[in-house]
Amino acid sequence: MTPSSRPAKRKRLLYVLIALFSLGGLADALYLTVEHITGQSVRCTIVAGCSEVLSSSYAVVAGYPLASIGALAYFSVFSLAILSLFEYQIAAKLLLPLVLGMCLVSLWLIYLQAFVIHAFCQFCLLSAAVTFCLTVLATVAWRMRSA
Amino acid sequence: MKRILPFIIILGVLGVAVGSAYYFKRSSTAVHPITNTANGASPSTANSPAANSGVGVPGAEPAHKLGPDSAPVHLEEFGDFECPPCGLLHPILVQMHKEFGDKLQITFREFPLVPAHQHAIAAASAAEAAGLQGKFWEMHDLIYENQKTWHEAFDVRPIFEGFAKQIGLDVERFKRDINGEAVAQRIFQDGKRGHSLGVKGTPTVFMNGREVPFESLPAEKLRVVIQNELNK
Repeated sequence: MTPSSRPAKRKRLLYVLIALFSLGGLADALYLTVEHITGQSVRCTIVAGCSEVLSSSYAVVAGYPLASIGALAYFSVFSLAILSLFEYQIAAKLLLPLVLGMCLVSLWLIYLQAFVIHAFCQFCLLSAAVTFCLTVLATVAWRMRSA
Repeated sequence: MKRILPFIIILGVLGVAVGSAYYFKRSSTAVHPITNTANGASPSTANSPAANSGVGVPGAEPAHKLGPDSAPVHLEEFGDFECPPCGLLHPILVQMHKEFGDKLQITFREFPLVPAHQHAIAAASAAEAAGLQGKFWEMHDLIYENQKTWHEAFDVRPIFEGFAKQIGLDVERFKRDINGEAVAQRIFQDGKRGHSLGVKGTPTVFMNGREVPFESLPAEKLRVVIQNELNK
């Protein structure tokens, strides 16, 4: 392997990881969206947390379940990661700003769960964890792109 | 080919995502007849109003009922007083009771979710203790209407004792009954019935032996569901 091909391979690996993590986030967000639409998530169960969080006013934005907006965001990250993998430069440029925006929203949602709603939903926390991983991966990919 | 391959992958993932969401939605919203019976009753017998109490294990007797036994539509709610969606369903059921009158019977079953809700057992006990003095529904209404107030409290006993006084109960008896065996048994029996019917969360509502999908519980949808049942 030539020294110049090694960073390119690492960058590709990063985009593959970003695509895989965003698929995990997409599955989580889709599950929450369907649960929201069918009303299952707002039903109380023996595990506390999700019903309080998902029946709160913060779970809906402009009439749409917040989870559906999350699903759209994860799908966008997946699409940009795949396009970046195939060297579409515009996609590589858009990836980090989108992931940073999602990271800020995740921080805001954790704040709401901790200090406003006083309950944590494990699926929302999983989504936040995925977003934080995506932030790290996208930042590293950005730095490798700039180098 | 290399230029269009990423778009094929993206469209493939989009297709799988939409397909699985649709499949999951369909399986979540299916109407579930009661089939998990303790006495071997078939799902078809579960569809008749009279069969409502005949499937699953019986639950606490006498059950807390609003409306006559002869009503063609029986709703049986499994509720937890500390569950916010149950609190939201409460005024809807009150409204349905007013609108449909003698055509509708509503039964309430205790299904406190422990350990999710720390005051759920205390609230269920308070309602059942009031029931021993013939004022279950009065206490039931007060507990739901003030859910947000007592839900945040550290000690709910004085609040429920205040409710008991407000509805004219013998408060000393209420304080004894709330920790008594009769109340504990009623909650246990209702819980047993819920488990035998496959209840996993609250509120869960059965109409003439069939589970009403949660998404049909908003007033405008529940009204249609009840009306359709009356038209059968």
